[in-house]
This record gives sequence, structure tokens and C-alpha cells, in this order.
Amino acid sequence: VSTDARVEDRLRALAPQVLGALVRRHGQFDACEDAVQEALIAAAQQWPQTGVPDNPRAWLLTVAGRRLTDAWRSDSARRAREDSALAAEPDHARVAPAADVELEALDADAGAPPDEDDTLTLLLHCCHPALSPPSQIALTLRAVGGLTTAEIASAFLVPEATMAQRISRAKARIRATGTVFALGPGAEREERLRTVLHVLYLIFNEGYTASSGPELARADLTAEAIRLTRAVRTQLPKDGEIAGLLALMLLTDARRPARTAPDGSLVPLAEQDRRRWNAEEIAEGVALVTDALARAPLGPYQLQAAIAAVHAEAAEARDTDWQQIVALYRVLERVAPNPMVTLNHAVAVAMVDGPRAGLALLATLDEQLAESHRLVAVRAHLLELAGDGAGAREAYREAARRTTSLPEQRYLEGRAAQVVV
Amino acid sequence: MKYMVLIYDNARTRERFSGEDGAELMAEVNAIMKELTESGELIGGEALGDPSTTKTIRLAGGVAAITDGPYAEAKEHLGGYLMLECETPERAAEIALRWPSSRFSPLEVRPVMSPGGAEM
Repeated sequence: VSTDARVEDRLRALAPQVLGALVRRHGQFDACEDAVQEALIAAAQQWPQTGVPDNPRAWLLTVAGRRLTDAWRSDSARRAREDSALAAEPDHARVAPAADVELEALDADAGAPPDEDDTLTLLLHCCHPALSPPSQIALTLRAVGGLTTAEIASAFLVPEATMAQRISRAKARIRATGTVFALGPGAEREERLRTVLHVLYLIFNEGYTASSGPELARADLTAEAIRLTRAVRTQLPKDGEIAGLLALMLLTDARRPARTAPDGSLVPLAEQDRRRWNAEEIAEGVALVTDALARAPLGPYQLQAAIAAVHAEAAEARDTDWQQIVALYRVLERVAPNPMVTLNHAVAVAMVDGPRAGLALLATLDEQLAESHRLVAVRAHLLELAGDGAGAREAYREAARRTTSLPEQRYLEGRAAQVVV
Repeated sequence: MKYMVLIYDNARTRERFSGEDGAELMAEVNAIMKELTESGELIGGEALGDPSTTKTIRLAGGVAAITDGPYAEAKEHLGGYLMLECETPERAAEIALRWPSSRFSPLEVRPVMSPGGAEM
């Protein structure tokens, strides 16, 4: 490992801690994030030459704190000029805090151990309701995950400039709509926490749906999502849905070694070599969801994790307890109705009551999922099980035309070719 | 999701952009490009040379043949493209509709295939 790489790892771990300490002290998430980015750039330039300082966190906190006060000084100078131009009374509430006093306080804080609450606080900031999910994701990965803009851009397969723009726009949006919200217990915090979980879920999925191309960067996203969900769980260990989400991620990630063939093609759940599943992740996931279901109010992540756990506990695909899966989908449809849930429910129903019963349930989705290749792909599968080879082949081909994923297209075309007509 | 907006044109629509009202139309183009850059939705885009500058390449029976001019005799040709990153196909279509050439000739919005896939 080169010095540069070691410095980068170090910075990545420290970035959210430093940002957390600044935000805790000053609020103003966007300004603090800018200041921390500048401090990180300075460190990345200086540390490889001068060596990592004795207390890197204090170093970053001091530099970021100075940048923050510099920014405030120039802001308040600019405002003063604008105000005098408008012959307006200076607004004391908008004047920056006394910079040097703040700096001393920051320095005193610099040696203190990182506050565990910070990760959650930062996540709550990044998942601002005024932002679109892609912006929430990008900001979360940079501010809390400590990923560089270039890394996030490569994970999402867009140019760095595009991602940089998305991030700076997200921060501007937060600045415009205000960063102050009730961090104490209450409906707003609760709602935002749900958004945080959804964003973590999306980050996980983004990483998990990768199978070819720049694989490494995307696989990192699942690890990052799991790491952040763990951190949130440390803060709120009693929340059943956080435990459920973590369990769902672990149980899904456990299948990674088996879900692609060496040539990169997709292997469906029923055909995966289950000996290659990650037993450690399965054990942890099953324990988490079992515990959550026993003591917390029921929620959609716990139910999805429970379904994943039933799959995980079957040594062979034919051992799957489909009855139990159908029962869980029924509850899930009641708790969180969603056409994709119904789609999966239909597959489970087909396994218990036969493919025609599954097809009947699919028919209810025609309107809602009219353009979805997944609906057509599931229909193809059930038609195949029902012995309608010609219908199955046509449906597989239609699904292949509709998907915008290259590996899915290859898979669906392969299925169409294999159907016995 | 990534989308490509295919911008079609013909000799007459090209002239509009270089003719009298050209500056106004180009100002519109630049304003949209700026807006899309700021929103983080623009990945790239280029205008293509006139169709008459096309070289058509064929390999027939192992023999290479390079001819001047476009492959297909058509009124409309691909004149340029935008690469977008949008949350929905509706948003990509909305951007295409605002592109000034939509008043003179059609545009197409097509999703870009992604290398990622979910197990089925």
C-alpha cells in the first residue's frame, strides 16, 4: 500500500468525524461540508510530503474551522457591502460569530473522541426532504461515507463534473431551504429517519445490481451501505426497521458470490450454488431479523428480510418453504402495498398453488406495471411452468426488448432460446 | 437512468440555426445546456457535421467500400445528440421538447443500456 493510499484511507475515515464535529458546533451543514472538503484537499496535498500529523483529526478540524471562519468573514464583508449599498440597517443576527473564539473552542474539541451521534446527525442532514433521491445518495456518500466526488461518479457511471454539479446543487438547495430542523424526537425526525433508511437501501441496491463493467467501485457501495446502516443501528438499537434493513442487506449480499457465473451472466436464485452463499452474513442476518420480529413493531424491511431469511435457510431451492413466503408476502402487501411486492407474491403463489394461480395474480398488475420488463419476465417464467412454451418464449423476448440492463437482456434471451416449445 | 436524445434535422432546419434567427436559437440552446449542467443532468452532447460530410463504410464480401454521403436516403438525419442522466423518462422527454429544434423536426429519447442487472 502506497503512502498516498494510506493517507486516502485515513482521510476517508476522518472526513465524517470532522464534519460531524463542525456541524454539531455550528449547524450550517452546507458551509461546514465545503470547509471540510477544502481541509481534505489540503491534507491530501500536504500529508504525503510532511507525513501524517500526530493528531490528524485535530489537524483537519483546525484547518476546516479556519476555512469556515474565512468563509464567514468574506460572507459578512460581502453582506456589509450589500447592506450599505442598500442603506439598510446591519442585521446582527446574520453577522458571523467571533472567529477566534470559535477557533479556540474548536481546537479544544479537537482532541476529544469522535461523537458517535455524528454519523446519524449527518445522515439526517444529507437526506433533506427538498433533495431528490439521487442527490441525497450523492451527498450521503460524500459527507458521511467520505467517498470522493470522483469515486461516487465512477460508481454511478457518470462524469465527475456531472456528479460535482449534483453535489454542489444539493448543498445550495439545503442552504436555500434551511438546514434547521428538529433533531429531537418527533414526527419530523422520525420521517427523516425513514428517508435515511430508504437512501441507504438505494445505495445498497445500486451496488448490488452491478455485475459487469466497473465492478469494484460499485461493490464498494454495498459495503458502504452496510457499514452506514450498522452505524445507525448502533445509535438506535431498539428500532426494528433499522435491524430489518441491515438484515435484508446482509441476507441479500450473502448471495453475491453465487449470483453471477464466471462469464458475468446472471444466475437466478433457483439455480444458484447455495454452498457459495456467505454463511456468516446469513447467520447474522437471520439472528437480526428473528430478534427484531420478536420484539419490535412490524415493518416492511423486517418482512423483506424475513422472506430473504426463508430463502437463505433452504439448503436447496426445492427445500424452500414457499407456504411461509406466501404468508409473509400477504402481510407485506398489507403493511406496504406496492406492485413490485405483488409481483414477487405472484411467484410465491405459483410455487404453492400452481403457475395458473400466479398468472391470475399477475393479471392484476397490467395497468400499474404496464411498461415493466419485470412483469413480462415473471409472466414468461410462469407460462413456462404452466407448459405454455410458445407463450413463454414470446414473453421472454418481449421482456428482453424492454429491459435496459445488458446482463438481464442476455439472461432473458437465453431463457427464450431454452424454452421447450 | 441515462438517456440519449437524438436530435434530427434536415438542410432547412440547419439553416435556421445559422440564418437570421440563428443567434436567438443558439442562445436558447446555450441556456438549456447551462441549466442542465447546473442541475447535474447533462453528461455530454455534440452537434454532428452536415450529412453530406458523412463517409459510409461497408464491408461486402471482404471488400471494403467507402463512399461519400449518408447510408440512408432520408429527409431527416441525425444532427446531434445529448446524453442525459434523468430521474424519469418523462423528465428526459420534457428536456427534448424544450430543445429549440423540436419546433422544426422530431427528436427521439432512448434509454441507454446499463451494465448492471438484478437476479431474476
